[in-house]
Amino acid sequence: MFRTEGEADLVAACDTLLADHPDNWLVREITLYLRRTLKRIDVSSRSLIALIEPGSCFTGTLLELALAADRSYMLDGTFEGANTPPATLRPTAMNFGPLPMCNGLTRLQTRFLGDDDALDAIAAETGNELEALNAEELGLVTFTPDDIDWDDEVRLAIEARAAFSPDALTGMEASLRFPGPETIESKIFARLSAWQNWIFQRPNAVGEGGALELYGTGKQPQFDRKRV
Amino acid sequence: MKADYNESIPNNVNLGDDRRLLRALERWQPAYIQWWRDMGPVESTDLQVYLRTAISVDTDGWAHFDHVRMPDYRWGIFLAEPEPDRTIGFGAHKGEPVWTDIPGEYRTELRRLIVTQGDTEPASVEQQRQLGRTAPSLYDLRNLYQVNVEEGRHLWAMVYLLHAFFGRDGREEADEMLERHAGDPDRPRILQAFNEQTNDWLSFFMFTYFQDRDGKFQLAALAESGFDPLSRTCRFMLTEEAHHMFVGETGVMRILQRTCELMREHDTADVRPYGGINLETLQKWINFHYSICLDLFGSERSTNAANYFSMGLKGRYQEAKLDDDHKLDGEQIEIPKVTADGIDHETIAALTAMNLKLRQDYTKDSQRGLNRFNKMIAAHDIDFVLTLPDEKFNRGIGIFSEVHASPDGTLLTGEVWEKGKREWLPTADDHAYVNSLMVPVTEPGKMAGWIAPPKRGIHGQPIDFEYVLFH
Repeated sequence: MFRTEGEADLVAACDTLLADHPDNWLVREITLYLRRTLKRIDVSSRSLIALIEPGSCFTGTLLELALAADRSYMLDGTFEGANTPPATLRPTAMNFGPLPMCNGLTRLQTRFLGDDDALDAIAAETGNELEALNAEELGLVTFTPDDIDWDDEVRLAIEARAAFSPDALTGMEASLRFPGPETIESKIFARLSAWQNWIFQRPNAVGEGGALELYGTGKQPQFDRKRV
Repeated sequence: MKADYNESIPNNVNLGDDRRLLRALERWQPAYIQWWRDMGPVESTDLQVYLRTAISVDTDGWAHFDHVRMPDYRWGIFLAEPEPDRTIGFGAHKGEPVWTDIPGEYRTELRRLIVTQGDTEPASVEQQRQLGRTAPSLYDLRNLYQVNVEEGRHLWAMVYLLHAFFGRDGREEADEMLERHAGDPDRPRILQAFNEQTNDWLSFFMFTYFQDRDGKFQLAALAESGFDPLSRTCRFMLTEEAHHMFVGETGVMRILQRTCELMREHDTADVRPYGGINLETLQKWINFHYSICLDLFGSERSTNAANYFSMGLKGRYQEAKLDDDHKLDGEQIEIPKVTADGIDHETIAALTAMNLKLRQDYTKDSQRGLNRFNKMIAAHDIDFVLTLPDEKFNRGIGIFSEVHASPDGTLLTGEVWEKGKREWLPTADDHAYVNSLMVPVTEPGKMAGWIAPPKRGIHGQPIDFEYVLFH
């Protein structure tokens, strides 16, 4: 579960510094560390959910966390009685190249595979603050409940996800996280590896109480919920 | 706006304090009223109808009688009182406390169950909308409208669950219930029996006898649910459903009585020349309605139904009275199977035969009323027995949908079936005859010639009471 908190402007300033001095050895070092950290998140066997609430700073580099998530929920408006302004997302130069995934594409390119118009629309918003409905329209978030629905929708999303077979989820999520072209790196770390190692040969599928064994019987499978 | 919702919508769910419900209803309620005007009973807006309104769930409040205009009917939201310390009665979660919120893992299944049930309620109002033009008496006209407003309230009950527990998805599903219409080729109702027309009063009484009885069994199975708000909603709906079946059973009984009287009076089995409905015609209507209602229970073998049971979402009829472990682990059951040589049997897990079990209980319950009908016929010294057709007859869903069979269950070739159909199911001629009888009778206390008067009026009123005022 990813949440962020802080000043979006400071994150944007940081990103500007990184983007403007790519040849500086320290900047390069920092960017590579960020790239590696985000790649590690991409190949996690756990479900990733980003909650984008007022006071958060999903800007540029930190926006990558929301883009890496399997689902992102963004609050439309504010919580009742709170005086924090509505949450926003802000794309920066860091979202368009310096932090590629193991498939060689940026997270935005992966998300909008083959849809250059959608990518251009987001690039045109670089530096702008996008509120929930705008972000949803651009395809940046999964769902934008308002404060009346928020708690229940988030609870249901988490409970529903937790109820699935963890291995099957790993396979499904890996497929959705890495569509498109394979690289040597993605062949080792991404979806092919997940499908071969996790799905059809683990006890959650073929064990005594596994989903494939019980399919069609009406009995509920018993899952081992340890994901790693 | 908000202040008057508690007044205009009788409820026991603290509607006035629930921001989420109020927001959802602010949009949905006007759409519902518009739907009632567009798709509800025709030419009924200005009538004052002697209706029962539920204004609370206690003994005094659930049946409040008065003349009201139907667009002003106070459709309410009621849940039966909670049972303290209720636990889940069946399935994998048996013995655990019931859920007062939706368990996230079963959200999709619950939504599907509620939407399927909810969709039938406005569908039946749409199917019956023309009937007000041809009521055989004011008493019957009033009963029709009572059934209609309560089906409307049952839609409210299901929409309440969608609005209160399913977030945006729920609001969208609630909107769609008003957008699908019975018999609409582009956006039909979900279940086929709710797309058939109910254009004559014989069909209406059969509908309230057979279709509403299916409703009773579905509601009874959902009343067992581990999701407590669903269970409590359905328990309250069952009290109203009982009246609908009363309308059906007494309606058919009164037609039978009139037919038997005409048969004795004129010493003939063909009462059509005297404006009655022949017993053979009644049998055809029974054959049709009963067989399409069996389809409503779904396939005999169903993994969905098995899942609903083991998840604790939908139980069996009167689950607590059944003498087993309520989990059905490893239990087997024999079900019919169609083979090249005819009907054989196979053994399957009892869990996957939930639909069949509920359907068998429905058959038993349907037969009870038929026994009463047959007593009425016998009391007139007439040698005729009304029967329920065999489960293989005229089926569109399940094991028997691939075979043709006569009402007594004999397997037939397609050719013999096509010929026999005219004997067993209503023909265009039968419909034309029954329709010719559909002439409105609006004088208080008078009945159309094909139906006997009821034994007593509604809520202690005489039979010639002005149940509907035309202004």
